Amino acid sequence: MENRNRWSNLYLALVFIVLYAPIFYLMYYSFNSGGTMHEFEGFTLDHYREVVQDTRLIIIVINTLVIALLSSAIATIIAVIGALAIQHVRSRRAKNTLLSLNNVLIVSPDVIIGASFLILFTIVGVKLGFSSVLLSHIAFSVPIAVLMILPHLEEMSPTLTDAARDLGATRRDVLTKVILPVIRPGIFSGFFMALTYSLDDFAVTFFVTGNGYSTLSVEIYSRARQGVSLSINALSTLIFLFTVLLVVGYYFLTAKKAKKPSVELTAEAGVPR
Amino acid sequence: MKQLVNAFVAIMIAAFALMYLGAWMNKSEGYSGGNTLTIYNWGDYIDPELLTQFQKETGITVIYQTFDSNEAMLTKIEQGGTNFDLVVPSDYAIAKMKEENLLLPLDHSKLPNLSHIDPRFMNLSFDEGNRYSVPYFWGTVGIIYNPGLTHGLTFKSWNDLWDSRLKNNILLLDGAREVMGMALNSLHHSLNDTSEDHLQEALKKLNTLSPNVKAIVGDEIKMLLANEEAAVGLVWSGDAAEIMDENDKLNYVVPEEGSNVWADNLVIPRSAANVEGAYKFINFMLRPEVAAQNTEYVGYSTPNKDALALLPKDISGDERFYPPKVITDKLEVYDNLGKRMLAHYNELFLKFKMNND
Repeated sequence: MENRNRWSNLYLALVFIVLYAPIFYLMYYSFNSGGTMHEFEGFTLDHYREVVQDTRLIIIVINTLVIALLSSAIATIIAVIGALAIQHVRSRRAKNTLLSLNNVLIVSPDVIIGASFLILFTIVGVKLGFSSVLLSHIAFSVPIAVLMILPHLEEMSPTLTDAARDLGATRRDVLTKVILPVIRPGIFSGFFMALTYSLDDFAVTFFVTGNGYSTLSVEIYSRARQGVSLSINALSTLIFLFTVLLVVGYYFLTAKKAKKPSVELTAEAGVPR
Repeated sequence: MKQLVNAFVAIMIAAFALMYLGAWMNKSEGYSGGNTLTIYNWGDYIDPELLTQFQKETGITVIYQTFDSNEAMLTKIEQGGTNFDLVVPSDYAIAKMKEENLLLPLDHSKLPNLSHIDPRFMNLSFDEGNRYSVPYFWGTVGIIYNPGLTHGLTFKSWNDLWDSRLKNNILLLDGAREVMGMALNSLHHSLNDTSEDHLQEALKKLNTLSPNVKAIVGDEIKMLLANEEAAVGLVWSGDAAEIMDENDKLNYVVPEEGSNVWADNLVIPRSAANVEGAYKFINFMLRPEVAAQNTEYVGYSTPNKDALALLPKDISGDERFYPPKVITDKLEVYDNLGKRMLAHYNELFLKFKMNND
């Protein structure tokens, strides 16, 4: 038994090494004073200085963050409404159809989604740039957020809302004081999923950027074609650290909530007025 | 609920603060406001120092965006919704853009520096009279080979590729025009030949090359050749320069029967927002000292004859990239053969590929 345990630990360690080795390799060379990834010549922060001094790059980073924050916030709101609507559908078949339609959007190739957005935007006359990128990011984030929120809705016991209604809660009260607090973890995970999707999406964004407006993934791709310069390593390192911060932040948020969900529930939802 | 609202408000505040910061930076850098020029070019196809110099001279801020294939660029321009002021497509893409009425006719009086261009590169078949385009860089299709592995062959003629000692040692570009053109050239036909007899003859000849062909590949041909996976490759001169940078044992040659000459050109799309700036930039790039500096950086062949005179001898005298007149006289531009003929070329090439597997 113990032996098997050791093997599985070893296996797990191996998997993580495979997953993380390229990233650490890349981070290691971001400090290389030589110009290439072949051999390490000496320690330097030059590449980081280069990144910080490159205002266009910083503007692009800011663009990326703005798009990610706005699109995932808006997408989460839409997804909450959508999930509630799906939950409300009584017929099993209709519900399954809606769910499958939602899932199709998640698995369909980004390239096709991107191309269809490009065609749509140009037909409607939306200028490529901030608004087109924002709209398409909202659109591809909604199905993901719906998928994160729905299970929490399904899990919620119907007696909870029934009780609230019996105690005289209005529809609005039921929504804001019972349903939303119960599915809050789902809402947050939906938001964070949407955030990561938006941050690293390349295929869709590639099609809908234009007029000098660009996001990080598109910019890194076009720079990497000219041979990967080490400033890209430096930038990627910074982004990686930022994502780690996000994940840690998310972890603390959920951990805090997991400790005292019931208390809040009774305080917020249980008391009739 | 309160927590949700708080989180939402915090996110919105963060987003708008960032947005404000971005707008402020854009303004202080001059990226927003009317005085910008958006250039859509291939990756790493201009010396960035020249962009700064142009900015200093004219006060116009340059936004540089890149594409990686003529097709990707065409899709973006065709779809509209963008306003690139200056684009750098290849010859056949220009013919197509012309047909689709995507380009602005050029006013040559605004481009006095056009006189520095070698007349050989003006007035080519894809744009007669240079009504829409100004030559930027040019190159050829030829053979790159590894002298250590080719048994003394030097590829003076395309027919050397058929030498039985090269068994399973040749890599071909995956391009119908390039490979069919090579076969037509080896038979002393034009690479724009449309006679059915000649084309069938070329296919027959190609099929006899099969034992020597190791693979027909895309962009990875550069890596494979640099790593000496094969002795010989059919490549564009630009790729050849890159491969030889990686591995200086290799050599490049344009066979004497003639070959294709390609050209990338500056054009102004109809949707351009800053046409005056685009003219200024083209004229700037045509200045001999600017073109010379750019050529040293990019490493392709310049059509600017006065710039060539300014370049060091080991660049301008390199016959591999600036071939002598006997060869350049035989170089041909790909004509736009029309959709049907092109499909026929593709079909013949496909037959060869299927036969080859």
